[in-house]
Amino acid sequence: MAILAYLLLCLLVLPGSFFIVLVFVMAALGKSLGFRKTYVEFLLLLFNYGKERIERAAKRKEQRQAGEEEEDSDSDDASSEELNENKNSQVEEEILKEEGDSEAVEGEAQDQNQNKTGNFGRDDIFDFRDSFDFIQSGITAIVNDQVTQRFASEELRSWNLLTRTTRNYEFISWRLSLIWLVGFFIRYFFMLPCRVTICFLGTITLTLLTFFIGLLPQSAYRKKLNDYASKFSFRLLSRAFAAIIHYHDEQYRPTKSGICVANHTSPIDVVLLACDSTYAMIGQRHGGFLGILQRALARASSHIWFERSEMKDREAVARRLKEHVEDKTTCPILIFPEGTCINNSAVMQFKKGSFEVGGQIYPVAIKYDPRFGDPFWDSSKYSMLQYLYMMMTSWAIVCDVYYMPPMERRPGESSIDFAKRVKAEIAKKGGLIDLDWDGQLKRAPAKKEWKEQQQVQYAKKLVHSPRHLVQTADDSPNPST
Amino acid sequence: MSLDSPISYQAYIGQQYIQHLISCERSKMGSRPSLLLRDEELAEIQKETGFSANQIERLYSRFTALDKSSTGALSREDFLRIPELAINPLGERIVNAFFRHSDEDRVNFRQFVRVLAHFRPVKKHKENRYNSREGKLQFAFKLYDLDDDDRISRDELMAVLQMMVGENI
Repeated sequence: MAILAYLLLCLLVLPGSFFIVLVFVMAALGKSLGFRKTYVEFLLLLFNYGKERIERAAKRKEQRQAGEEEEDSDSDDASSEELNENKNSQVEEEILKEEGDSEAVEGEAQDQNQNKTGNFGRDDIFDFRDSFDFIQSGITAIVNDQVTQRFASEELRSWNLLTRTTRNYEFISWRLSLIWLVGFFIRYFFMLPCRVTICFLGTITLTLLTFFIGLLPQSAYRKKLNDYASKFSFRLLSRAFAAIIHYHDEQYRPTKSGICVANHTSPIDVVLLACDSTYAMIGQRHGGFLGILQRALARASSHIWFERSEMKDREAVARRLKEHVEDKTTCPILIFPEGTCINNSAVMQFKKGSFEVGGQIYPVAIKYDPRFGDPFWDSSKYSMLQYLYMMMTSWAIVCDVYYMPPMERRPGESSIDFAKRVKAEIAKKGGLIDLDWDGQLKRAPAKKEWKEQQQVQYAKKLVHSPRHLVQTADDSPNPST
Repeated sequence: MSLDSPISYQAYIGQQYIQHLISCERSKMGSRPSLLLRDEELAEIQKETGFSANQIERLYSRFTALDKSSTGALSREDFLRIPELAINPLGERIVNAFFRHSDEDRVNFRQFVRVLAHFRPVKKHKENRYNSREGKLQFAFKLYDLDDDDRISRDELMAVLQMMVGENI
């Protein structure tokens, strides 16, 4: 009996340990056997199959509904274009377009000279319909605004067989649910333990290696060793998330000292970038799991870790940054100028601090493929551990890293404009939307100055000459005639 | 999906089981159970406001996204959390329009959709009382008419004008 149990244990442990040794070897060599690629391709086939079935079921439902209603309304045509790719954004566009049209209908009826931008009436006289512009943009913002959707997970165009991505779960078909069930078991009972083990081992490796490297005297040899050790540990950690990373334009990979800026989606960004090149890091000192990593890394090479109170002192931060950049022997320092995690559909305002320091800026764009797992960390909803748990139970993390040629501040260009220019480049390369809104709107309310800007614009339209301010109610064109 | 044949009954049971598993996985994540929109409610709203089923579902998911405290109703803070609305000079008046017919300062989904129904475009022969021209004008009128006496006094007009120009005149 005991022998049987012993054999069983061996049977489980042996391939398990073989697998783990394999992972270590591959991470050390920096190569890949292509398992993850095949896995991803298989998943894609599965998703396409799932998508077809969902489309077919939705089509049947639409036809049933169309039969019941006497007249089909605008957006409900049971065509497959509705159902694929742009379904959600299309419907929203229609709701919004309809709102825009409603105001236009009003204006056209009253005033033949109304132009399409909504300038009702004459320019220097107050008209009741002036408020329509504001009402329209207000209601548009309520239905769908550009900012708040960046702070929540991106919506998928078709279901990727993870429960957490279904909004309203509907029973589509037996087969799909079966696939989901099988996937559920594989993810939670097979992949999760493997990945947790690898993550654990990876952290231990990182801590041990950096400890030993920290004991060596400073030299070029130590730097090279640190390079290698850090890449090795981060490759291990990236395998813990089944991360499949494509690096593009590797000739622009940052190797010399300078500042590397990237868009921020999750804490995993750091791991992904560090698999390919060694960076110095800057950030707040954390406790817990992150804190362990921070302290380990700090032993072997120079990073900049701040206490929370020091971060408020912008000058101190800028000074330390400058020192680091000017020391040519250090690694490029990795900065996320957005200051917070955004959901990878857009790039939000870059804080100008890192662009004031000078020197070369190496922009990097990171774009995740949301079909395999949602990488966005919603720090208001999930703690770090919950987030890691969700990452490890997703299918995989597939992403593209685009290295870009270094940029420098042009003479006479302000750091804000420079930041905007870099942001636009990153957004273009990564296929993200370029927004000027501040990422801090996640936590803090909007500034009053922005409202005042709108008021100034409207006031300018009115006050051509100081005498004509408001015409009395008798004179202004009455909208109801 | 009718339950008369034994196979479809099995399918039904299977579906219930799967939904149970789903809610377990969801609750493990710590996320709230989603408030699903029932079919009957959807049909009612469709009839009342004229939005299509698709549009109502989109509005519902927008509603739940705005509802940060998951109470099934929106407060003024939930609206003003939208930056583009918060910086709109008439933003607060627009938000007031939602709260006109509600008590306890909360807006449920029906009220939410009713107000938005004013902004559907007018299609020939398919007007209803919300998005008719009269309905739209009523909305704009009520934005000015604070004391609800069906007249816009000079003060009320000046108040709105003040909001739109700020300190600049």
